[in-house]
Amino acid sequence: MVKVTIDGTELEFAAGTSLFDACRAARGEALPHFCYHPDLSVAGVCRLCQVEVEGMPKLTIACNTTVREGMVVHTRSEKVRRAAQQILEMHLINHPVDCPICDQAGECGLQDQYMTYGLYESEVGQSDKVHKAKVQVIGPRVVLDKERCVLCSRCVRFCDEVTRTGELGIFNRGDRAEIGVAPGLQLDNAYSLNTVDICPVGALTSLDFRFKKRVWLLRSTPTLCHGCATGCNVRVDHEAGTVYRLKPRRNAAVNGAWMCDEGRDTYRPLHADSRLREPLLRRDGALRPATWPEAWSALAAAVGVAAPLGAAVVSPRQTLEEIALFAHLAAALGAPTAGVSGGPREADRGEGDDLLRSADRAPNRGSLAWLGLAEPTGADLAARAREARGAVLVYGADPAADAPGWREAVAGRTVIHLGTHLSATAEAADIVIPLSAWAEKDGLLVNRQGRVQASRRAIARPGLALEDWRFLADWLAAAGATDVPSSLPDLRRWVAGRVPALAGVDLAVLPPEGLIPDAVAAGSGGER
Amino acid sequence: MNQDQYRILSKRFDRRDGHKLAAYEADGGYRSLKRAVGELGAPAVREEVKASGLRGRGGAGFPAGVKWGFVPQGAETVYFMVNADESEPGTFKDRLLLDYDPHAVIEGSAISSFAVGAKLCVIYIRGEFGWLVDRVQKAVDEAYAAGYLGPGAFGGAYELEMIVHKGAGAYICGEETGLINSVTGQKGQPNIKPPFPAVSGFLGKPTIVNNVETVAAVPWILEHGAAAYRRFGTEKSPGTKLFSVSGPVRRPGVHEIPLGLPFREFFTDWLGGMADGEELKAVIMGGSSVPVLTAAEAMETALDYESLAAAGTMLGSGGMIIIPARCDMVELIQVLMHFYWDESCGQCTPCREGTGWLHRIVKRLRRGEGAPEDLALLERVCDGMAGLTICPLADAAVMPMRSFLQRFRPEFEALAAGRRATEPDSRWAREIRS
Repeated sequence: MVKVTIDGTELEFAAGTSLFDACRAARGEALPHFCYHPDLSVAGVCRLCQVEVEGMPKLTIACNTTVREGMVVHTRSEKVRRAAQQILEMHLINHPVDCPICDQAGECGLQDQYMTYGLYESEVGQSDKVHKAKVQVIGPRVVLDKERCVLCSRCVRFCDEVTRTGELGIFNRGDRAEIGVAPGLQLDNAYSLNTVDICPVGALTSLDFRFKKRVWLLRSTPTLCHGCATGCNVRVDHEAGTVYRLKPRRNAAVNGAWMCDEGRDTYRPLHADSRLREPLLRRDGALRPATWPEAWSALAAAVGVAAPLGAAVVSPRQTLEEIALFAHLAAALGAPTAGVSGGPREADRGEGDDLLRSADRAPNRGSLAWLGLAEPTGADLAARAREARGAVLVYGADPAADAPGWREAVAGRTVIHLGTHLSATAEAADIVIPLSAWAEKDGLLVNRQGRVQASRRAIARPGLALEDWRFLADWLAAAGATDVPSSLPDLRRWVAGRVPALAGVDLAVLPPEGLIPDAVAAGSGGER
Repeated sequence: MNQDQYRILSKRFDRRDGHKLAAYEADGGYRSLKRAVGELGAPAVREEVKASGLRGRGGAGFPAGVKWGFVPQGAETVYFMVNADESEPGTFKDRLLLDYDPHAVIEGSAISSFAVGAKLCVIYIRGEFGWLVDRVQKAVDEAYAAGYLGPGAFGGAYELEMIVHKGAGAYICGEETGLINSVTGQKGQPNIKPPFPAVSGFLGKPTIVNNVETVAAVPWILEHGAAAYRRFGTEKSPGTKLFSVSGPVRRPGVHEIPLGLPFREFFTDWLGGMADGEELKAVIMGGSSVPVLTAAEAMETALDYESLAAAGTMLGSGGMIIIPARCDMVELIQVLMHFYWDESCGQCTPCREGTGWLHRIVKRLRRGEGAPEDLALLERVCDGMAGLTICPLADAAVMPMRSFLQRFRPEFEALAAGRRATEPDSRWAREIRS
């Protein structure tokens, strides 16, 4: 540890700490900056984070300085403030003040820092401005405005250092310097939208999000991406029940500061036309809207003491609490133990890479193992369904699409589908129960590391859809069970008590980076 | 006075075959390298050069021996690079060394490489010096053939590889980390320091970059000793220095003088004073980046690092520009601001934006579209650039701008009052893009 005095306060930092980070800790806010990014190399080009270090003849940039024992640093002196003002002015002289039509307005580094360090009186004549190209589509998802760019080089460093794809560069020199795509290339990698996130100004904007919503109208909910087993920490930005975009949240233990482009698209199904908004019951050969009392009556008629459940299938896209409660419900409804499973195993698979994307596209397959639920192949699943006696209950999964032979296996049987969309399985079901999609509920997910993380509700459920765990608990109560959890914390305690991997874990107080239970870290967390 | 007695670096400049190995060897060439490798050993060479007080001739004037000492002890791979990216307006001394005495540069480079433990030496020559690349390459080939370089040199005792590398035409590649990036194949722009190249330079290994004129002095220092070198110059500015003089004097060109020579004497005796009908107005002493002096200030100073610093300017590269009375200082600064705007690498915001802004304001002034506030604005823009960037290019633009404003303010004020420049643009200004 080294002792450093910043603005008169002596603080201790680990040796090797960046002075930039030390100043952030000491000040409670970051120094003005554009080019510094904790997950990229130091470029030192925006020159905004200059501080005064006693004993140094000139101001020095904090981002390229590491703390030293006895260092005395001033971040709020007149000299420092003046430098920041002057340098910010330099950033602005050739910047088009097109904030009214710029998507970045409201979350723009130039705007934010101008509030503190602006000179507020322009001395640049319009004729003095350097103009550059605007609205260049440089890839399937990203638009470049060279005139707004402050040449911080974050996007270039991202493509060089993180994706190692190297599409971007700074071309030409002096005030003719501009960001561009290497000849013959597009900014077309699986993580391209991170460049938009780290762009401190409106130079790089998202084709998808452009002009959809002014950012100050959005509300943000910290949650998880449900797009794959990685469990990237994200922020869902939404307004009036509509999600507009996903942005990564920094979690060094999971996703750093990044997320993939595919994950950002996962908000689209939330608002798809195929969303289930009300219970559906098959009448006269067709699925027709029904009220909840009608749906409950249909469920009671299909499954009960006289007619035990034949088989139950749950998708690893459901949360830990949901899967646990569902398995419990299925047992209470009389399903044989071997008949309750995840699956089909082939579902939710995709292309992975060694950066973030998991080939396993299910966000919670880890929970199936923790709960001791097998995950049969599609063919096995169909075979089990064929052999089962009684109704078949499908939760989240879509075996009609993913399991060969499923349709034939369940022909003539009562199929109950619990889900969010009118999937192939739902279309062929007899009873369809509308539940909540990932952004509409709270729950826990177990990622590929065996890390439990909390996903949070961002928006309201559509129509008559119910919150999953409440529906399951109500059915459990209707089936005569007495140990029915009455709240989500209650449910979590109940789950923790049933899962060996979670022995000793308090799910109510997960740390911000999530938690890998000791039993899992030690390798005894059940079959993985 | 015999001015030739000071010709250490320039003694072969006026010989027809001075650039050839035979002529160089006939003068005792490569003896110093042989002695360095055969007798002295690297530590003794470093000590001798350190003792000579030889200072970097590229502009910063940092003692060469001290710089060599920054290579970490026990470093296995060290690179040595010779900075021949001479491109500062007014500076044209290294090109004479490369042209007329390439073997002195090669021998000095080899000795310096030996002193720092480098096995590879790169001579980086600016792209515009195409014919000098050929000239130096021929000399390097001769040195290889003669067994001074390459495999088997000195019986295997020191086998230096020497590469002549042609730049692509950027002033900023004269900054040593920009030069290293350029050699590496990266965009020629400076790196943030630390790390300094003596610790982590070319390919991440310790790298020493010295100016052509600096290394060219090394063979002489080894041959005659540090004490002999110190007989020239002053205590803190020992030795001789090449000054490349442009402007309407009787004898412009490259002159070698002992440091500490009073400017008045240099002006009168070496340069022969102003050409007929010309009157001295101002002097840029050490290349376009240093503050300009008025004629009166210049006449009171002497040509060494300390005297020029005391006079408020710098010795820099020794690129001396003699400015006659007929010269319009605003026009001249426009030429210089165009240069720095054009050459800024564009990395650091204050330099990227500031050089262009200065250039545009000066242009506006000369178009007669200026305003009185523009002078204060010029000064303010300078304040926002000086000392705030990775490399000194921003300062290099600010120093002339500030000094021109300070010392020749009436010429700016006249334009700022809205008067258009009355004189037609000179050839200089016509040549630059508007």
